[in-house]
Amino acid sequence: MWWKSASVILLVYAIIAGLVVPLKPGIDHVTPDSAATGKRFDLEVHGYNTWYTRGKSTDIRAWLQYDSLRAIAGTDIRVLSDTTLQVSFDIPSTLPNEGESAMLNLIVSHPTDGVSLLPSAVEVELDTAHTSSAANWTDHPIENLHVVRDFSYPYRNVIYETIRNTYFHVPMWFALMFMFLTSVIYSIRYLNHPNEADDRRAVAFTETGLLFGLLGLTTGMLWAHYAWGKAWSNDIKQLMTAVALLVYAAYFILRASFDEPEKGARLGAVYNIFAFASLVPLLYIVPRLFASLHPGATGNPAFGSQDLDNTMRLVFYPSIIGFVLLGVWIAQIRFRILRLQQIADDQD
Amino acid sequence: MKFFKLLQFLTLILLLVVNLQPLQAQGNRDFMRETGKIYVVTGVILIIFAGIVLYLVRLDKKLTNIEHQLKEGKNE
Amino acid sequence: MHTNFANQFLTLLRKEFVIEFRQRYAISGIVLYVVSMVFVVYASSIKVGPKEWNVFFWLIVLFAGINAVVKSFVQESGSRQLYYYQLVEPSVLISAKIVYNTLLLMALTVLAYGAYGMVAGNPVKDPLLFMLVLFLASLGFSIAFTFLSSIAAKASNSATLMAILSFPVILPILLTLLRLSSVSLRLIQDTAYRKDIVNLVAIDVILIALAYILFPFIWRD
Repeated sequence: MWWKSASVILLVYAIIAGLVVPLKPGIDHVTPDSAATGKRFDLEVHGYNTWYTRGKSTDIRAWLQYDSLRAIAGTDIRVLSDTTLQVSFDIPSTLPNEGESAMLNLIVSHPTDGVSLLPSAVEVELDTAHTSSAANWTDHPIENLHVVRDFSYPYRNVIYETIRNTYFHVPMWFALMFMFLTSVIYSIRYLNHPNEADDRRAVAFTETGLLFGLLGLTTGMLWAHYAWGKAWSNDIKQLMTAVALLVYAAYFILRASFDEPEKGARLGAVYNIFAFASLVPLLYIVPRLFASLHPGATGNPAFGSQDLDNTMRLVFYPSIIGFVLLGVWIAQIRFRILRLQQIADDQD
Repeated sequence: MKFFKLLQFLTLILLLVVNLQPLQAQGNRDFMRETGKIYVVTGVILIIFAGIVLYLVRLDKKLTNIEHQLKEGKNE
Repeated sequence: MHTNFANQFLTLLRKEFVIEFRQRYAISGIVLYVVSMVFVVYASSIKVGPKEWNVFFWLIVLFAGINAVVKSFVQESGSRQLYYYQLVEPSVLISAKIVYNTLLLMALTVLAYGAYGMVAGNPVKDPLLFMLVLFLASLGFSIAFTFLSSIAAKASNSATLMAILSFPVILPILLTLLRLSSVSLRLIQDTAYRKDIVNLVAIDVILIALAYILFPFIWRD
């Protein structure tokens, strides 16, 4: 069947492209991470995936940015290695805001690496002893950034290479939803015209959905341990998946509670539809109520609006289709085993 | 059958290794955090692979049972 | 047809009340359950701040609710079920049960609120909203539990099955309720809580429609 080969081709493509394509150059960390107003200070920039030695060092530009209007340009940029830069900044004697200190973002623009940004890189504290600095917050606006077009995945601090998990962990969820939805459709068909085939299909798709749910949960826990620091943080999406697994575990217990298979199939189908309908609000309504660590929700600056750029889409969507087709394949095999089981049981 | 027992055992070990790593490694720079945490991606792919293989083993067992059942039915 | 539906519905509803009064042990059992759970919270001598108050209250209501509703199908004898089956439409039966259980749960939640408020204090800052939440809770619990108890009643291990089936299903409702009740306790500031109320009503409407459509399939044997 063509779709079986399609699933394999898409998954192989997703694994290869997902692992081979490099990350964009980024800034890992800077030292020191605090400074005082009115002084000149040297900043050491540690890059990730960067090739600072390529291109002329005089073409490299750096800024410490407060907002779109206020920034200070770095001077005297020295390339120490491919991943280390030294930049000097003349901090003005006042802060851009009214407070005691200000958090500044670091922007580095490199002729071959392009632009990289480290949010909240340096904290500048107000030092009233030095008021002689001639520098000003509005003298050097950010301009003439190097535009580099390349095929790479976005760089995020803390996330690093694990951004590739988007192609392997996230499709689990899509596959799960597809399996459960298909199973509900077969349950509805079963209730309309009771026949064993539709019931078996519902069971097969539910079981495959459970498999993907378990995989999504475990891979998510592994990723969460290294991205959020905790394997289980009662994030609403983790909770949701756990509840979905509970519902479908209950579905199998319910089916097993009846001696007559017809009764189990009928009540199982009813519960399948009812439980799925009650899970839908969990997916769309309840996440709105709670802060989530997952992207697309508040409280997650590290992985925000740009979490899926056009390059990632080229791998992400094929991966989803590949995993869904693989799931259909597995479900089909499970369905055929269930049918054989019936034949074997009838023979006895 | 012995082969599948072995396979099951191996995948279990694999799962344990992948899952235990976070428990042991609390330091800031450990194996899993090296080179941009790329081993987390490896772990995720391995878990998915192991999960699907374990499920295949389960299906295989079911098929073996059915085959036995069918054979016995023919002999009677 | 319409008068027929209304007549059957009212007869069944009245029957539920009559049975409840005859078997007073059932309702007194639930009341005792609520009181003892309130007492357990009190006796555990945890200092109950508004946040804990909220969680404990909904736990009490959840468990009391599940115990109160589970009997609506599980505790009815087979012969009485057969009798209903010959007499009334399944949709009438489920509607009557849901309405009756909603009323029962409303009485129960108000009782729980009163008893709990006396023992652990009453941190509710917006009583009107809290009462609305109690009503929505009774409605949601009643729909889900009534329907699921009709499934569980068909199996032999119905009490266990009831718990397994209903907890995951009730969770979306429970989470929204907890959120709304936190708003009424002023634990969180949320100006968009009306949207949550709409969501809750929407869930209730979906579940009631499904219960209405699906119940005939459960009732068939």
